[in-house]
Amino acid sequence: MDGSAELEAAERVVMRWDSTSASASAAADEPMLFDGASGDRIEAERFLRAVDDLRRLAPPSPAAVGSPRCLSSGSSAGGASSAVQVAMARLEDEFRHVLSSRALDLEIEALADLGGSLSISSDRSNSASSADLQVVDEDDSVSSSVGRRSSYRSLPSIREIDLLPDDAVADLRAIASRMAAAGYGRECAQVYASVRKPAVDASLRRLGVERLSIGDVQRLEWKALEAKIRRWIRAARAAVRGVFASERRLCFLIFHDLPISNITITATATATAATAPATHDTPFAEAIKGAALQLFGFAEAISIGRRSPEKLFKIIDLHDALSDLLPDVSDIFAASKVAESIYVQAAEIRSRLADAVRGILSEFENAVLRDPPKTAVPGGTIHPLTRYVMNYSSLISDYKATLSELIVSRPSASARLAAEGNELAPSLAELELPEPENQSPLAAHIIWIIVVLEHNLEGKASLYKDTALSHLFLMNNVYYIVHKVKDSPDLWSLIGDDYLKRLTGKFTMAATNYQRSAWLKILNCLRDEGLHVSGGFSSGISKSALRERFRSFNAAFEEAHRVQSGWCVPDTQLREELRISISEKLVPAYRSFLGRFRHHIENGKHPELYIKYSAEDLEIAVNDFFEGVPPSPHIRRRSHG
Amino acid sequence: MPVTEHQGSSSSPSPFSFGRSLLSLRRDHAAMPSGEEADLEAFQRHVAASLGELLPGEGEGGSGGGEEILSVAWIRRLLEAFILCQEEFRVFVAQARRRGALPAAGEKLVVEFHERAVKALDVCNAARDGVDQLRRWERLADIAASVLLAPGEIHEGQLRRARKALSDLAVLLVDDTAASGSGGVASFLASHRNRSFGRARASPSRAAVAGASSATSASHFRSLSWSVSRAWSASRQLQAIGAGLAAPRAHEAGLAAPVYAMGCVLHLAAWALVAAVPCPDRSAALQAHHLPAAPPRAAFPWAPPLLTLQERLAEEGKRKDRRHSCGLLKEIHVLEKSTHKLTEAIDAAPIPLFGDREADVREAAAELAAVCAAMRDGLEPLERQVREVFHRIVRSRVEGLDSSMHNAD
Repeated sequence: MDGSAELEAAERVVMRWDSTSASASAAADEPMLFDGASGDRIEAERFLRAVDDLRRLAPPSPAAVGSPRCLSSGSSAGGASSAVQVAMARLEDEFRHVLSSRALDLEIEALADLGGSLSISSDRSNSASSADLQVVDEDDSVSSSVGRRSSYRSLPSIREIDLLPDDAVADLRAIASRMAAAGYGRECAQVYASVRKPAVDASLRRLGVERLSIGDVQRLEWKALEAKIRRWIRAARAAVRGVFASERRLCFLIFHDLPISNITITATATATAATAPATHDTPFAEAIKGAALQLFGFAEAISIGRRSPEKLFKIIDLHDALSDLLPDVSDIFAASKVAESIYVQAAEIRSRLADAVRGILSEFENAVLRDPPKTAVPGGTIHPLTRYVMNYSSLISDYKATLSELIVSRPSASARLAAEGNELAPSLAELELPEPENQSPLAAHIIWIIVVLEHNLEGKASLYKDTALSHLFLMNNVYYIVHKVKDSPDLWSLIGDDYLKRLTGKFTMAATNYQRSAWLKILNCLRDEGLHVSGGFSSGISKSALRERFRSFNAAFEEAHRVQSGWCVPDTQLREELRISISEKLVPAYRSFLGRFRHHIENGKHPELYIKYSAEDLEIAVNDFFEGVPPSPHIRRRSHG
Repeated sequence: MPVTEHQGSSSSPSPFSFGRSLLSLRRDHAAMPSGEEADLEAFQRHVAASLGELLPGEGEGGSGGGEEILSVAWIRRLLEAFILCQEEFRVFVAQARRRGALPAAGEKLVVEFHERAVKALDVCNAARDGVDQLRRWERLADIAASVLLAPGEIHEGQLRRARKALSDLAVLLVDDTAASGSGGVASFLASHRNRSFGRARASPSRAAVAGASSATSASHFRSLSWSVSRAWSASRQLQAIGAGLAAPRAHEAGLAAPVYAMGCVLHLAAWALVAAVPCPDRSAALQAHHLPAAPPRAAFPWAPPLLTLQERLAEEGKRKDRRHSCGLLKEIHVLEKSTHKLTEAIDAAPIPLFGDREADVREAAAELAAVCAAMRDGLEPLERQVREVFHRIVRSRVEGLDSSMHNAD
């Protein structure tokens, strides 16, 4: 067969499948060449061969001038180019058909597992994050109910799955290579993107990625957003490592090494039309760009939201998840300019989230500084602010891996100056931080937070009219701080022994001050001074002074009992120790006082008016102290009980 | 920021040079007395100057760059003007703050502006999608144009190929026009396409019939093109941006005037962007009653140029041949026009092509190729600049968050 006969034969094969001719277009269910099992393999092969023959034998179509076989066009050029066009239109339809009809159902559940290991860190920060400075979860279980942070950097990485069966991919590759060779690569890429783009979008919907505008995100309650962030992290892993990675692979399998986006240099649009060298991922970028930008858009919307302390930990989660994904994003999207812009945006958003974390932390510091002393908590118990701040701090230490990376500067002078401008704030001198050489900026921030808390508590302590109660309040709160630190090894190691020692010292001081101001006056009633009458007869005890002493001791003790039973020391151990410490001072002193002077009273009239209590009565009565309940009106006396 | 001075902003350095930069403007007025009033006056004058330079027909040797209004280049200059004004505003606020001349009420105004500006972020995202969409159109149009402009004779094969690309383009245009809430040129194209191509094989209906999905991929394509939420509406967003934007009364000193100026400039820029490119529900935004409220002309030096711009834009939107377009962007208009022209030239062309007919086709193709080239060159920088506006708004908002934290009590 000579060339022209071959050419004619090829044209005949092609024309049989002229999808643009009106006669062939009667039925919509017209058979396709490539149709999986139901397609006609032999005819399909014949068609592809005919296309190859057309290209080999016919002068190239003008649009394909870039190809090396640039022969002069003869009179048959019209017919041949028309046959090429018919073949290409056919192949385009076939390409679209295979691409859309043979797509495998994406196993979303399997993909969703890519995000599974995240659950370690979910729900962790709920208690602290949902509380604000005023409304505080009273129970103290925050830190125990949340697991310690475990690193989730060892995640499954990119997982490419088959979006189409191998034979379909082979068909697509066969078609694409013909289209590219004939200069129809752009059409092919166009079809590819127009089919894959909705498929990608649908996959993301199925993964639970919502289309939320920034406005939508700003309007949502933080609680609702927390749930969405959790879902997003999961979905983003699956989207990046599963969906996008698989799309890139599919695109590579079909288009690699094919010249698909050669923009023909035309008469008018000359130099400017020459574009970047074609890369196989252009159709890929086109297919996923919208979905990817939309996916990352949610994280971006979160990053520019209002900064309030309760958001810190979820935003760190989001930041970490994104950081974790970035290497994969870079890998998947680095191949072309369009795709690269997606990586750039993801990286921008990550650094915005980091800014948000820093901003929120300083917001938190300021909130602690400014939390106004309004009314004193009854009974001098632990202030909700103390609980909140310490639970928050201990969560911060749980997140210290990330936060140490993000927090790179110490509490700045501006923060301290801002603090100084505030009348509630501690003065600079007072707040000189201990700054050992090796202290990290994060540690400096935590210490700063606690220092600010201490200062704030001192302001709150001054609300109490009773100095003893004011000391008791400080004692309780500092004790709580110390214990929270000791309970959390991470927090302890962050703030260090020096500062903990300082806190312990402050606690001891508060306890001593309490005892001094609450009990000195009472114990003074039991001293000998002033009872001895000098210059009189014999032993010289003034009975009236003694009676007066007993009377005032009784009154003072009863008053202390009445009042301090209503005070509160929530920590059982501390409460017990405090009672023992009081008993140890009070009871022996009383006992010895009684021993020395009781006969003076018992010899007189109505001794029971002056000696109302035995030493044991006092011991029992001390056990009513610090229960935080309205006391029984009278001290129970063993002798009457 | 107390936590760190490291502003971690990774935003790429602005690719746009500010020819008339803030600094040079400031140097011009170095002789001005310092202080708040002088700053205020300078700020307002700069806003007026920036807007004035956008006015078309400012004379050949005038300040204007000579770009046609609503061209890609002009939109870029508009966004640049917004960025410039916003930068000035930042400086103005920072100086007031440094002087301690920013009482709580002033801070509140600044926060209000930031809240307003944040609403423009969704407009930026929608415009980014719109620009993406334009690129899709351009690619199809360019196939048609380049096929017909290739050297050698034009045979039936080339005509068919071009025709197919144009009809694919028509499908997109129809869908996008429908999504923007208008009809017109595109629906003309669509009906035209049906008339001239019979059952267009380019339409994806066949794939839909054969494929798994029941919806046509064309409608799929449209409804999923937007990354903003389904219910999002450009016109409602613009209304939100303009909500409560009222001229301050004469006695309101301090920041009231600059905040108002920035609000108006922001509203104008967002509105022009929506008007220019395809956006969900954009056509309603062009209705007369949705136009930004007019600032009192006499009270502010920047009001006259702003009003002139607004009027010009509104006129463009009312023009008969533009009213139903999917975007007022000049390049869209040219694209539609030359697509239309080329389609008709191809329809009228006998096979084989010769003489005048061939010249008609080639001329129409050349026109289309020229606008495609302009779009290829212009759209990417435009997209980048839209993103830059996004960055700037975010950055100043974040600064606002940080500083309000220090100053609020």
